Amino acid sequence: MAAPDASVAAGLGGPPRLTGEDAARSLDRSRVQDARRQHRRWQLLWLLVGPGILAMLGENDGPSMIAYASDGAQYGLGFFVPFIPLLFAMAYVCQEMCMRVGAVTHRGYGELVLQRFGTVWGWFGAGDLTLTNLVTLVAEFVSIRVGLAYFHLGAAVAVVLGLALVVFTLSGGRYWRWERIVLGMALFNGLFLLAAILVKPDVAAVARSFDFSPFPGGSFNTLLLLLASTIGATVTPWMIFFQQSASADKGMTPRDIKHGRYDTATGAVLAAIFGIGALVAGAALLTHNGSGIQGFAGAGFPEALRHVAGGAAGAAFALGLIEAGAVAILTICASTAYAAGECIGVSHSFNSSPRNAVLFYAANISVALVAAGVILIPGAPLLSIALNANVLATVLLPVSLVLMVMLANDKGLMGPWVNKRSTNVIGISVITFVGLCGAAYGIDSFLRTVHIIGS
Amino acid sequence: MKPMAPLIDDPPRAAAVSQPDLRLPERPEDELIMNLERDQFVSETSRPVPRAALSSRTIAALWALRVFVVVVSLMVVYTFIDQLH
Repeated sequence: MAAPDASVAAGLGGPPRLTGEDAARSLDRSRVQDARRQHRRWQLLWLLVGPGILAMLGENDGPSMIAYASDGAQYGLGFFVPFIPLLFAMAYVCQEMCMRVGAVTHRGYGELVLQRFGTVWGWFGAGDLTLTNLVTLVAEFVSIRVGLAYFHLGAAVAVVLGLALVVFTLSGGRYWRWERIVLGMALFNGLFLLAAILVKPDVAAVARSFDFSPFPGGSFNTLLLLLASTIGATVTPWMIFFQQSASADKGMTPRDIKHGRYDTATGAVLAAIFGIGALVAGAALLTHNGSGIQGFAGAGFPEALRHVAGGAAGAAFALGLIEAGAVAILTICASTAYAAGECIGVSHSFNSSPRNAVLFYAANISVALVAAGVILIPGAPLLSIALNANVLATVLLPVSLVLMVMLANDKGLMGPWVNKRSTNVIGISVITFVGLCGAAYGIDSFLRTVHIIGS
Repeated sequence: MKPMAPLIDDPPRAAAVSQPDLRLPERPEDELIMNLERDQFVSETSRPVPRAALSSRTIAALWALRVFVVVVSLMVVYTFIDQLH
């Protein structure tokens, strides 16, 4: 990689200053341009996929898969099977906006909010992100710990594995290298589909459940918790920060928007399939012994699956939880680091060397360190942390989404790539739905806790 | 009128007065520069975008949403802590 400021502008109208970050990004772009020039469609697609799949499969993280499995264990097949693809369709609308704004403006979400709407909104967004990311990261380490516990490995191994992955993926000093390593790992999210196959579900029953029936019964508050945590399992603030910043860091341009849409749609489809896999695997626990999620102390889904569907199903689910936690740690740490660099106004790219982007690399590692420290506390309520991480993300999401829609409608920034009317209608509907579900759970739970309404 | 001969076919000849070469010298990084759009360079993205002019109604709506979200978040956190006990 070239040293920073390798060349200096030759004056007014001369070539721009070329930094090491520019040089690295330029090499990636040269391959994209070669593929486009030579009409190599599949190679072009291969070069341009990444941020969308990573955002979607990164969100199929430990807490999300536990939330889906909890839905299955509590309510069986039915409402939640078609609800998951519906949520990922909603996620696609939000994430496509992020990709488009990143490709057109070449700037991250935090940076644009801060500069366009003012420091207060920028820092509010970064604050929300840091809070939800820290809680979610704790849940990701919990997920790895739960998966490793199936193989009789302890919390210390989970901490070392998570931190080693963060350091290893950061070591290359290139966005491309980071993205490809994490993409390779993310494909193992398919282990949840394998777990679903191994529990030998009634395929006809799975197909029948796509008519949204039966609607889940039981406690209203538990249903609200599962609804809010399931929504939080598909769309979260970190995804918005991550995909826009990663699209800009990858060097995407308006010419790449079509491929960015393929990338995001592929991620949404894969995530929905694997999410349904986790739910179907969880549903095996309902059909075999009728246990509810409260019965699985310590979020021990893999162990419970072993009892009802055999060791292979338990092992697949446990390995899936390790993968889901590991990929999410990498993407969530990246989103935190992007936001920190963007809001403080310093270098924030995987294409920068650690020496030139100290804060970016430090934020990446330190946020993982803090979360890892928390899971070493004995007696932590694992399932409660995992579910509440998603609920908190759902509650805080509407502000991030509103600002995202405002950016995507900003003609001064987006020019001809502003949102279409239909995108705005869907986007506002998503914000309203997410806001209502999050608020309904928050208010209902609070009123029950302070005994204003009966529990 | 006599057409101009292509420059490439001009025979080399010694100039009576040496002319300065107005072409920019080629640099190895020029090729890299061509792969990026001008507004993709770090030197360009480091410049802040101008502040948007938000109407007072938009600002009021954003603050209302922000306060609502903070209140509901506090309720969720309170409930979570209460459940731990």
